[in-house]
Amino acid sequence: MIGVVMEQRPQIMARAAGGDAQAFATLIEPLLDPAYRLAAVMLADRSTAEDAVQEASIKAWRKLGQLRGDAGSLRSWFLSIVANECRMVRRQHWWSVTKVAEVRPLQVVGDHFDAASTDLKTALLRLSPGERLPLVLHFYLDLPLEEVARTLGLSPSAAKSRIYRAARKLRSDLTLEEVF
Amino acid sequence: MTREDFRREIGDAFDSISGSSSPALSDRVRAALAEAPEHRGPVWIAALAAAVIAVVLVGVLLVGNPLNRGPLSPGGLGTKSPTPCTPTCPAPLPSPSPNPSAAPSPGFTCVVSPLMTMSQPPQTAFIDAVRTGTHTGYDRITIEFKNGQPQSIQLRPQTGTTFTRDAIGDKVTLSGRYGILVVIKGADAHTSYSGSTDIKTNYPGLLEARQVGDFEGTVQWALGLASSQCYHVYTLDNPTRLVIDLKNS
Repeated sequence: MIGVVMEQRPQIMARAAGGDAQAFATLIEPLLDPAYRLAAVMLADRSTAEDAVQEASIKAWRKLGQLRGDAGSLRSWFLSIVANECRMVRRQHWWSVTKVAEVRPLQVVGDHFDAASTDLKTALLRLSPGERLPLVLHFYLDLPLEEVARTLGLSPSAAKSRIYRAARKLRSDLTLEEVF
Repeated sequence: MTREDFRREIGDAFDSISGSSSPALSDRVRAALAEAPEHRGPVWIAALAAAVIAVVLVGVLLVGNPLNRGPLSPGGLGTKSPTPCTPTCPAPLPSPSPNPSAAPSPGFTCVVSPLMTMSQPPQTAFIDAVRTGTHTGYDRITIEFKNGQPQSIQLRPQTGTTFTRDAIGDKVTLSGRYGILVVIKGADAHTSYSGSTDIKTNYPGLLEARQVGDFEGTVQWALGLASSQCYHVYTLDNPTRLVIDLKNS
């Protein structure tokens, strides 16, 4: 299914640009799973993550005319809309009240989390969403550095720096070679 | 630690946070897109803007004082309070609101509503009444809360009237051709509510309303509709009520 969609993407893209909503749905279908995983990690709530992906899909459909470049740019463009939707959800007061309480306190050694005593999942949840986002894009969704940069709206070197800084908060002894 | 070890370890941790998406997500997005109005660029915007200006001018001429009318928000989601309801709804003003009247409900929409979230909701809003009624042009369902607004409300129209019951997982089919799922988070329907959980009305639009979820702070009501999935939704206060008008003609 994904292969077929990728192969026919220019034609489907043209139909979507012409106003065919079902063509657009077909176009983004392979992106829904990565979008959900991104949202679930950003929001730490699976049901809300699905809501966010749905909202982001509608927003993407309405903004399709703003997509720059070809169908190859679609993934980073769509994921950036999903990430923005997650930021909007998190900004809402009730969300921060209910969700922050779920993160358990960490054992901290100096300025960093102790790798030996800290569960990595908890450490990831303890990161700010802005720190978590580049890690999700690069390590979880396997996006190349250039695409991470496009999704974040940064230069590749700035994206690389963000990834490395966030990774060092998880493992203080990580070298650049161990990350990239 | 090698690069691959770190990547695997962090991937596993992310997996445990996110799990898998629901198999229905794709269908849900597809249905939402099918109902979403497209955005076609400046010409389309200009035409819409011209239409809106024309409607406003006619309204001013006919009514004389347009400020007496309750505002509407895009997407059919609004309040009857003086402030418009954006996707993030403010708490209603403390002043008493009028009872839902039999006046025709303005501005229907047929797409998934924005997530309507409330500021400073109670821990759990208790549903204590569900009422239905029929009027010229629309049918109405009102869900009343005992102690304030729930955390969020969303309406999800769909083609067909088969719904999955939350927690139980089985499917139920309501009367009608179209459906709307009303998802209310931060609420329960078992503390104060003792009325029917399957209301068969046989109105021109709303044929059946059935509770399909009351689990972990999320209440879901499914609506079975005869000929249209278009609605207008808003909240009223004193007491807090969610009012959904369903087009019936």
